[in-house]
Amino acid sequence: MTPQRKSLAKRLVGTNTLWIALVLLLLIAVFGALRPDAVLTVFTLQTTLVETSVLLVLAVGMTFVIITSGIDLSVGSVLVFSGVTSAMTMNSLNGGDATNAGWGVVVVGLLVALASGAAWGLLNGLLIAKAKIPPLIVTLGSFGAALGAGQLISNGSNVSGVPNVLSNNLGTGTTFGVPNLVILAAVVTALGALLLGTTRFGRHTYAIGSNEEAARRVGIGVTRHLMAVYLLAGVLAGLAGFMAMAYFRVASVTGHDTDNLNAIAGVVLGGTSLFGGAGSIVGTIFGVFIPAVLRKGFVIVGVNVYWQPIAVAIVLVAAVWFDQSRRKARDRS
Amino acid sequence: MSKRTVRTLGLAAAALLLTACGSSGQIGDSGSTSTAKKMVLIPGVAAEPFYISMECGFREAAKSAGYEVDVQAPAKFDAPLQTPIVTGVLANKPAAVLIAPTDDKALAGPMKQLKDAGIKVVEVDTKLQDTSIASATISSNNEQGGEKAAETLAKLVGDKPGSVLVLNTKAGTSTTDARAKGFETAIKKYPNLKYLGQQYTDNEPDQAASKVTATLSANPDLIGVFATNLNTGEGAATGLRNAGKTGAVNLVGFDASPKQVQDLQAGVVQALIAQDPATIGKLGVERAVAAIEGKEVKRDTETDLVAITKADASANEKYFYKQAC
Repeated sequence: MTPQRKSLAKRLVGTNTLWIALVLLLLIAVFGALRPDAVLTVFTLQTTLVETSVLLVLAVGMTFVIITSGIDLSVGSVLVFSGVTSAMTMNSLNGGDATNAGWGVVVVGLLVALASGAAWGLLNGLLIAKAKIPPLIVTLGSFGAALGAGQLISNGSNVSGVPNVLSNNLGTGTTFGVPNLVILAAVVTALGALLLGTTRFGRHTYAIGSNEEAARRVGIGVTRHLMAVYLLAGVLAGLAGFMAMAYFRVASVTGHDTDNLNAIAGVVLGGTSLFGGAGSIVGTIFGVFIPAVLRKGFVIVGVNVYWQPIAVAIVLVAAVWFDQSRRKARDRS
Repeated sequence: MSKRTVRTLGLAAAALLLTACGSSGQIGDSGSTSTAKKMVLIPGVAAEPFYISMECGFREAAKSAGYEVDVQAPAKFDAPLQTPIVTGVLANKPAAVLIAPTDDKALAGPMKQLKDAGIKVVEVDTKLQDTSIASATISSNNEQGGEKAAETLAKLVGDKPGSVLVLNTKAGTSTTDARAKGFETAIKKYPNLKYLGQQYTDNEPDQAASKVTATLSANPDLIGVFATNLNTGEGAATGLRNAGKTGAVNLVGFDASPKQVQDLQAGVVQALIAQDPATIGKLGVERAVAAIEGKEVKRDTETDLVAITKADASANEKYFYKQAC
């Protein structure tokens, strides 16, 4: 967003993403130096990527929301709700147990997951953009409601019976050594980056986050656009629910309580401003991987279990502080 | 008018009188004692196979003892959700309440209100730190469960050397900490098994999966994993599947809900340590009846656990948890 054209090198240094990428590389280098035999392996790379795929998809949606200076606390619960509706639909199409169901049923399951996510996203969007209720409150509400609804229809227990064709292909399958779950997450992320970085939709997202009133006055349909952004976050949470179900082979009603915070942390680490108007999907990718690499690295090098959360927290806060002070210095110059 | 009704009316009048006198007290005080032949079970969370199985044992035992039964469960294993249920049950004045407190301190207040109202309180599964409130406590011997897990794992592995890992939930969870402790003590007996220590997972399956694969990177000789509850077991199974190590690394899980039994039979999990929730429910009723009738009550009871492998699964079917009675 600099007015004059600078040299490529200068522009690269000026971007937030470069610095956060360096932090990530530094972490990998440190862990790699400590345990080269265990860290720098295809196995560690594959598993780290797979384990971060679901969170990355959530974080892509969250990036759009935060750039509009909003927040979406409901993504983890929407993920649970979508997984449950999808698994239960697939089960009911197969007489109660979809374990041996075919691709047709899986496609229906995917559509149900996406539609479930879309429904919650639309509800969030309506309440935020039309009823003008603050996003924090709306999504705090849907955070509770979506989880409750998921537990209500699943009767509070995890839903099993996930089709084998789904879990064997999407959940654990690979293509040329790359896990399919990672490919799906990468495609979603690439599409998200294109949408945000190159289209009018993306530019309007930044404009609304910078100054909602100004955006309205220059004729951007702010209400409509905000609804679309929350709808997108909802659909992606639905997709993430479908992916998590394929990965764990069960639609879990517990264990996603902190997904929302993990997604927000990844987005903010990646240089997206909580005040809106600035950020990028590429940054989010690095931001999501930093905590994942830390957690994995600490286990591999054998850091004391009680130190692990403290160390993760220190690196997170330090990375954001570093990024902000660098940005301040840039703004002054 | 039956004698009981007369007595209840008398008590109600006395309570009204007390209120009218303006005696100072606490919310929930009423001065009356309970008389109804009714028993309520308040599990830790609704619709979990463990608590459903406990409910089955409870219903059966309470009915045969001639008590009317009711079950009121919170939607989540959460003290703020369980507290209003306790106070709501208090208003109905049952003779006894069997409860699995979701927090060892936060539930002390509401449960003391039950006791002060003359309702007998029996703790099932979990317990308060304050031991003066309940008449009796029935729980699984979690430490013994951990020991059983270590012994079962050693039996599955045989003489092969290798590393073993424990996946715990959150630091400070008394039940899973006891399981991990029992495992740690018992695994020392097997010199071929190197104990790597425990990893906490925040009770999130994705963290459990990630910690298992990280441990595999660091210790390729990993031969056994003990997952201390349902979520860690699910995550560990996912991590091992991704690593292509299902079956090669022996996974010992805790509890025996239908999905876990399915995984055991499919070879995803090699052994399960099952609690005996139905017996916990049944013994809870027995202790409550003894307390109501003013007999001597055995204060603490620990029920046994059982290790189930694929080979002896059919013989241990009675230990599988139920989704419905």
